Amino acid sequence: METILSINQLSKRYGRIQAVNKLSLDVVKGQVFGILGPNGSGKSTTLGMILDLIRPDSGSFKWFGEEPTKESRKRIGAVIETPNFFPYLSARRNLEIVAKVKDYDYSDVDRVLHTTGLFDRRNDKFKTYSFGMKQRLALASALLNKPDILILDEPTNGLDPQGIAQIRQLILQVASEGITIILASHLLDEVQKICNYVAVLNKGNILFSGTVHEVLAISDCIELSSGDNTALKAAIEEHPAFLSIIESDGIMLAVFSEDVRPAAISEYLHRKNITLSHLAERKRTLEQHFLELLKDNES
Amino acid sequence: MKLLTIELKKILPYKTFWIVIGLYFLFLALGIIMAEYIVNAMVDDINKRLPIPLPHAVLFYFPDIWQNLTFFASIRFVLIFPAIVVIILITNEFTNKTVRQNIVNGMSRSEFIFSKLQVVFMLALIITVILMLVMLTLGLIHSDSQSLSLMFNGFSFVIGFFIQMLTYLCFAFFIAFILRNTGLAIALFTLYTIIIEPVIYFLLRAPFIWENTVYTYLPVNSVIRIVEYPSIPALKKLMNFQLQDQVTLLSCSVPMIYAVVMIGIVYWTFNKRDL
Repeated sequence: METILSINQLSKRYGRIQAVNKLSLDVVKGQVFGILGPNGSGKSTTLGMILDLIRPDSGSFKWFGEEPTKESRKRIGAVIETPNFFPYLSARRNLEIVAKVKDYDYSDVDRVLHTTGLFDRRNDKFKTYSFGMKQRLALASALLNKPDILILDEPTNGLDPQGIAQIRQLILQVASEGITIILASHLLDEVQKICNYVAVLNKGNILFSGTVHEVLAISDCIELSSGDNTALKAAIEEHPAFLSIIESDGIMLAVFSEDVRPAAISEYLHRKNITLSHLAERKRTLEQHFLELLKDNES
Repeated sequence: MKLLTIELKKILPYKTFWIVIGLYFLFLALGIIMAEYIVNAMVDDINKRLPIPLPHAVLFYFPDIWQNLTFFASIRFVLIFPAIVVIILITNEFTNKTVRQNIVNGMSRSEFIFSKLQVVFMLALIITVILMLVMLTLGLIHSDSQSLSLMFNGFSFVIGFFIQMLTYLCFAFFIAFILRNTGLAIALFTLYTIIIEPVIYFLLRAPFIWENTVYTYLPVNSVIRIVEYPSIPALKKLMNFQLQDQVTLLSCSVPMIYAVVMIGIVYWTFNKRDL
C-alpha cells in the first residue's frame, strides 16, 4: 500500500507544556484516519506541523514518500479549525485565490460550490455567510481539483445538528470516492461513524492506534508495576499481542490486541525474570477510557 | 506574475484600499493647491521687514516643479497614507488568518513575503508614475519656452521620490510583519513617524545646531532627507546658502540599507515563527 503521510518522532513544546511528544504514525492511501483526543491533546499542533504552519522542535515527516515542500501541500486539501477567507470577497473570488495558489485553473470552482451547496450564494461576500456556510466553503476549498488527501480538523465544531449532518454526509461522500482522509476530532462518535482507522491521542502521546474495529474491541487494560518499570516496559513491548503501554503514577497500563489474562501475563513476565509488585485488570471500553481522558483533561 | 495576480485578486475589490489611497491623493492635491498660497504668504510676511521685496514664488514651472512637488508629496503627514495601506494589506492576512490558508494551500513562506514586497514595489511605482504625470501636466501648463528647455534638469527628484516611497513602505512592511495587528501597527507607525522620531531628532539635534550628525540617520528622517527642501528662489536668497539642487546617491543609500536590513529580519523571523 502506498504511504501518503509518514510522521516520525515529531515533537513540539510550548513553554512547560509538551504539546506533541515524539509522535509517529503512518497514513496509507485509502484510509479514513481518525485522530481522536480531548481538546489540548496535540491534534491541531500535529496537523499544524505537517502543514508547515508550526515549526516542530524535533522529528520529521514525509508527504507521499518525499521531503515536504510547497508542491506536496498543493496535493492536500485541508480544513483547519476556523474557515479563513477574505471577508470582503465573494465565495467564488476566495476560491479563485485558493485555486491560483495551488496552480489550478478556475474550472473546478463551480463544481465544488455545487458539491457543498453554495453555488446559489457564490457571489455573496464571505462575511454575509452563516457559520455553517463558512465551514462548507472551507470544505469546498479543500476539495478543489480532487486532492490526494483531505485533512479535517474538528470540521463539525460549532455547527448546529443540521450543519453537522451536512458536513458528515459530505465527508462520507468524499471517502466513498477513495480519497484518503485524516480527521481530527474530540468526538468519539464522529470518529466511529466516519473513520476506519484511528489513533487516540492524549497529552501529545498516542495511546492506541489501529483499525476502528480493533481499537473499539479493546476492553481490558492491565495494570502492572515492578521494581524495574523500564525492564517491565521492554518485556511487555515484546509480547506478541502488545498494543500499547503508558506509565501513570508508577503504574504501567498495558493494552493488548486480544484478550490476555492477567495470570498469563504474570507467567510471561516470570519467564523473563520480572517479578511484579502489582497486577490488576481494569475493565473498560474505549468509550469509558476516552471519557476518563476527557475528565482528566478538564480537571 | 502568479503572485502578483493573487495579490491583485485580494486588493482590487477591497474598499478600504481605495479609500486610503484616495485620501492620500486628496491630501496631496490639497497640499499642491495650497502650497503656492502658503509659500507666498510667507514671502509677503518676510517682505514687510525687507527694504527690497523678494519676488513671489512660482512653484510649478520646470525644472523646479520636480523638486517642489516631490517635496510636498513626501512630508510626513502625507507619506503616512500609503504606508497605512501597506500595513492594512499585510496585517489583514494575519487577522483573517488567510496567511495560514495560503501556506496550507501550497505557498512557501518566502513566496508570501515576496508577494507582499511586490505589492510594496508596485504601490511605490504607481504612486510615483501618477505624481510624475501630474507634475508633467502642471509643468507644461505653467512653463514658458525657456524653462521648457530645462524640463528634465530636476528629474533626479522623481527617482528620489520613488526611493522615498519604496523605502518608507518597506518600513511599514516591516512593522506589519512584526506586529501582525492592524490597529497596533498603524498606531505605532504613525506615532513614530509624526511624534516619536521628530522628538528624538530634536533632542539629538539641539546641542549641535546646523551640524550633520547622527540625528540625520534616523530611519524616517533619512527617507525625508532624500528630498529635503523645496526649490524656492526667494527662500534660497534669504537663507543665503546653497540648498539641495539634486538627489544624491548617498542620501538614498541610508534608507535603502534600513530597508534591506528590515526585509532580512522579516525573512528570518517569518520563516522561524509559527503561524
